[in-house]
Amino acid sequence: MAMIEMNQVSKWYGAFQVLKDCTTGVDKGEVVVVCGPSGSGKSTLIKCVNALEPFQQGSITVDGVSVGDPRTDLPRLRARVGMVFQHFELFPHMSVVDNLTLAQVKVLDRSREEAVQRALRYLERVGLKEHAPRYPGQLSGGQQQRVAIARALAMDPIAMLFDEPTSALDPEMINEVLDVMVELATEGMTMMVVTHEMGFAREVANRVIFMDRGEIVEDAPKDDFFGKPRSERAAQFLSKILRH
Amino acid sequence: MSYTWNWGIFWQGAADASGTWLHYLLGGLAWTLATTLVAWVLALASGSVVGVARTLPAGWATRFGNAYVELFRNVPLLVQMFLWFFVLPELVPQALGDAIKQMPPPWAAYVPATLCLGFYTSARIAEQVRAGIASLPRGQRMAGTAMGLTLAQTYRHVLLPQAYRIILPPLTSEFLNIIKNSAVALTIGLLELTARARAMQEFTFQVFEAFTAATVLYILVNAVVVAGMRQIERRVAVPGLIGGSGPRTGH
Ligand SMILES: Nc1ncnc2c1ncn2[C@@H]1O[C@H](COP(=O)(O)OP(=O)(O)OP(=O)(O)O)[C@@H](O)[C@H]1O
Ligand SMILES: [Mg+2]
Repeated sequence: MAMIEMNQVSKWYGAFQVLKDCTTGVDKGEVVVVCGPSGSGKSTLIKCVNALEPFQQGSITVDGVSVGDPRTDLPRLRARVGMVFQHFELFPHMSVVDNLTLAQVKVLDRSREEAVQRALRYLERVGLKEHAPRYPGQLSGGQQQRVAIARALAMDPIAMLFDEPTSALDPEMINEVLDVMVELATEGMTMMVVTHEMGFAREVANRVIFMDRGEIVEDAPKDDFFGKPRSERAAQFLSKILRH
Repeated sequence: MSYTWNWGIFWQGAADASGTWLHYLLGGLAWTLATTLVAWVLALASGSVVGVARTLPAGWATRFGNAYVELFRNVPLLVQMFLWFFVLPELVPQALGDAIKQMPPPWAAYVPATLCLGFYTSARIAEQVRAGIASLPRGQRMAGTAMGLTLAQTYRHVLLPQAYRIILPPLTSEFLNIIKNSAVALTIGLLELTARARAMQEFTFQVFEAFTAATVLYILVNAVVVAGMRQIERRVAVPGLIGGSGPRTGH
């Protein structure tokens, strides 16, 4: 069953077309990795999924709800889709636990006690329960990103979007974040992940999407993608990033 | 120079027979503070609204905010004071205009002076609020939106608490500015501190004593404001942020 469906999505910034007829989907429980050169439109593509960016043509549905439909209650939809950013985007003026409870209380109308309970459960899951009362500025980058993942999970999302979650991290912190993501994937979370961590893709992805200049050039099961990429551009890209 | 110092003047009866000259000056200080405080509340409230408007996605809100700031920031304060006092009562419907003109003496000057200072300062605060919000990483707004917060909730819980912390020091200077600018209200007849120091000088010819007292009172008030704002800065400091307290761990 398709959790996220994109059909012929096109988007322009003024005269510049960032997305060209993008069609793809993510089934329930599926992990899809999106890769491609810088500026190819990866971030834009996943931001369209929860309407952080508007698109001009085509359609996107999430769990059957049309994202582009003006009648859609976007805050409700977004609350059901977790998102993790390159630069964490924790709220620096709030303690870790408050970061996790804010939207639970304000958007999902949970009681403060219930929200805190859940927050602590998810913090424990990412190994940071004892950091609950601290502030984001007191944590390392890897810890902050794990808190950001816990913050998204505390909303009980039906799918998770990741935009280069490890590319702002020092190398020694990448694995602690990837470990959390691998665990999520194996538990059956529906995930769309923009990343260049091909080790992660090899381990847990079901499909890999390769983008270039706003187009989805390749959309293939993981083994096909790493085995024999069909397009020249994808092969070139792979050889570049797999060399180191 | 044949100036006769007389510091005892403050304990002599004032010309308006309400008490000593010291009482008279302290009464002026009270009007200065009453003007300043109410103008500050007005400035902070409307400045915040306009500053936020200038950062909203809607283009019309930004244009309205920009026009507002240009208007109140580019007309000299003295001119604005005269506009509120002399011109506004003529522009509004006649009944309202007459009501304004018939206000009893201190209020007839106090109300327009407070409105004038409030709106003048609000434009400056609006600019600071806008700059404070604009200085935040774009991802903060996005993160708030992505978790399902409405635009209003994102401002209330994510953007504004950070922006106000950043602009606390310039807000302190704006508060100090209102205190100083309130002296302009003497031009429309408000007997605030500076006006009363001048009146005392005219009656007693003790110009140095009168203005020394006024200066000391202004400085005292400034010191209290600065100390108060420091206290607030300390209270809202965030551990792990620049200017925050507490140990920074990790790296
Ligand atoms: N707000 C904007 N206005 C105009 N152009 C934009 C805007 N945001 C992105 N772009 C352009 O759209 C293109 C795609 O951007 P996007 O951020 O989606 O790329 P990306 O694949 O995520 O790249 P990266 O790997 O660098 O993150 C780029 O050429 C970028 O310059
Ligand atoms: Mg990107």
